[in-house]
Amino acid sequence: MSDCINLTGEKERLVEGEGIVDACGGRSTPSADPLSLRERVPEGRVRDGVEGCVAAALACAAGEETEVTWRRDSKGVLTGWCRLPSGEALLPAARAVAELGGRLAMVTPYLPERAQEKGEREIAYHFDLDGATLTLTVILPLEWARVPSLTPIFRNCDWQERELMELYDVQVVGHPDPRRLFLDHSLPHAPFERLVPYSTFTNAATSKVLWDKVLAGEREDA
Amino acid sequence: MTTKIIELGPHQLALEEPMYFRVQLEGDRVADLDVLPGQVHRGMEHLVMRRNLYQNITLLERLCSLCSNSHPSTFCAAVEDVAGIAIPERAEYLRAVADEIKRIASHLFCCAVQANAIGEVPLFRRIMEIREIMQRAKEAIYGNRMDLAANVIGGVRYDLTPEAASYLAQAMEQMKKPLDQLYLQFGNNPVLMARMAWVGVLPREAAVECAVVGPVARACGIDYDVRKKSPYGAYDRLDFKVALQTTGDVRARNLVRLAEARQSVSLIEQCLAQLPAGPLCADTLPEIPAGEAIAKSEAPRGELMYYLRTDGSDFPVRLKWRVPSYMNWDALKLMLKGEPVANIPLIVNSIDPCIACTDR
Repeated sequence: MSDCINLTGEKERLVEGEGIVDACGGRSTPSADPLSLRERVPEGRVRDGVEGCVAAALACAAGEETEVTWRRDSKGVLTGWCRLPSGEALLPAARAVAELGGRLAMVTPYLPERAQEKGEREIAYHFDLDGATLTLTVILPLEWARVPSLTPIFRNCDWQERELMELYDVQVVGHPDPRRLFLDHSLPHAPFERLVPYSTFTNAATSKVLWDKVLAGEREDA
Repeated sequence: MTTKIIELGPHQLALEEPMYFRVQLEGDRVADLDVLPGQVHRGMEHLVMRRNLYQNITLLERLCSLCSNSHPSTFCAAVEDVAGIAIPERAEYLRAVADEIKRIASHLFCCAVQANAIGEVPLFRRIMEIREIMQRAKEAIYGNRMDLAANVIGGVRYDLTPEAASYLAQAMEQMKKPLDQLYLQFGNNPVLMARMAWVGVLPREAAVECAVVGPVARACGIDYDVRKKSPYGAYDRLDFKVALQTTGDVRARNLVRLAEARQSVSLIEQCLAQLPAGPLCADTLPEIPAGEAIAKSEAPRGELMYYLRTDGSDFPVRLKWRVPSYMNWDALKLMLKGEPVANIPLIVNSIDPCIACTDR
């Protein structure tokens, strides 16, 4: 708990006691104020303290062993990289980022190098923290992968997760609208994990199959 | 009041690309909206993993016509980050020039399409004529009107000769007065005010919740521009203010775009004035090692983000990108709620939607 106490102090210094909920962000009730922390802090303040603040918040929410590696490029832009210790840590970690004023920027599901050999897949969640980018990576099994939906926390995660579900063999638990987003229902599930011909994938095969569909459509119109 | 569901396609929405909407109406007002994307899904993320990093520059340039410079330049920035390549200073400025030329043309196209959507055909023609100055400049300098083919890993593959720089400076001079006039016209003209002011309002809190980016966010007073928040290329040495409005309506979005187009003219002039001598591209490229990187840029529609993961070969393990339009579609649900059916095409076009980018 010592980190939590330190974090409280750090957050108070950051926003000078302005309506911040308790330190263990992941376990607290989300703030009723629709404006994020970023909206309320004078420009530049979050960026100054972002490294310490994020590290403490994640350690508090997702476990002491959570480590964030930061890289600063030649222009001073920060990117933080964190591998979460377990899939269960995702939800509390995402809540902690939301309470720091983070905005979900992108979700990248992928099969890493030697995925079959290791039996692992990864999903990277990228968050924007006032210009800095934090990437939280969860490692999941190749078979029966499940992640909790972040859409209840970040509204814009909706499409990101729908796309994830149709392209990869991952179940997103608790998604409010798990319909296919881009792909036609005639296409196989999780085409990014199968050998699907590109023309089938894009529904653009100039073959007998396509012309059969066109002719069937004409008959229906008539 | 009667409840009715109608389906609108690209023709009814005055879009040049296919996107379908299922709209629930209460009387003649919009009650709810379902966006149905995927009509031009081309599996681009599947294709990029089957092409090497150099081929992907060409492929990504063909992802979308209006942001066709933002995609390859941001992708190249991600590769350069993984490999630790520092691009020459002259290349940083030349990338900014290409980006800003595309931004002016893109913003003007969006304003023109909206003028057309409300039946202001003479205004549509006038804006397209002004935009033609930029199209001609692109054609003269890059040899193409849309895809500039300006980027390579490690720098750029075009140069501005003194003649080309002076031609571009002259074109910028020609843009100033018309852009100032357009800003005043979109801000004060009673006909445009009647159609655009307080139409399609997105309150600031809703904009934060939907995580919208670009001119749509800045029209609601959200002070976020990647060029300022996460500076890249030459932008840390260029002087500009983030264009902001507060009302969050169609008029505000257009005023942000026109203010930005005017600023882009100034940014190009600054680039031409500061343009340092030197090489255009890194001499020799190192082997691209295994690694991962994030690259972001401010595309005409807002924050564009790339994630690249490599394994030491020339083929990406994963290349993922998220375009600015991706979140802006969702905000339409809030903008359209309570609006009459007749306003749907205008409001949809006011987010400057990019379907080729969204579907990929």
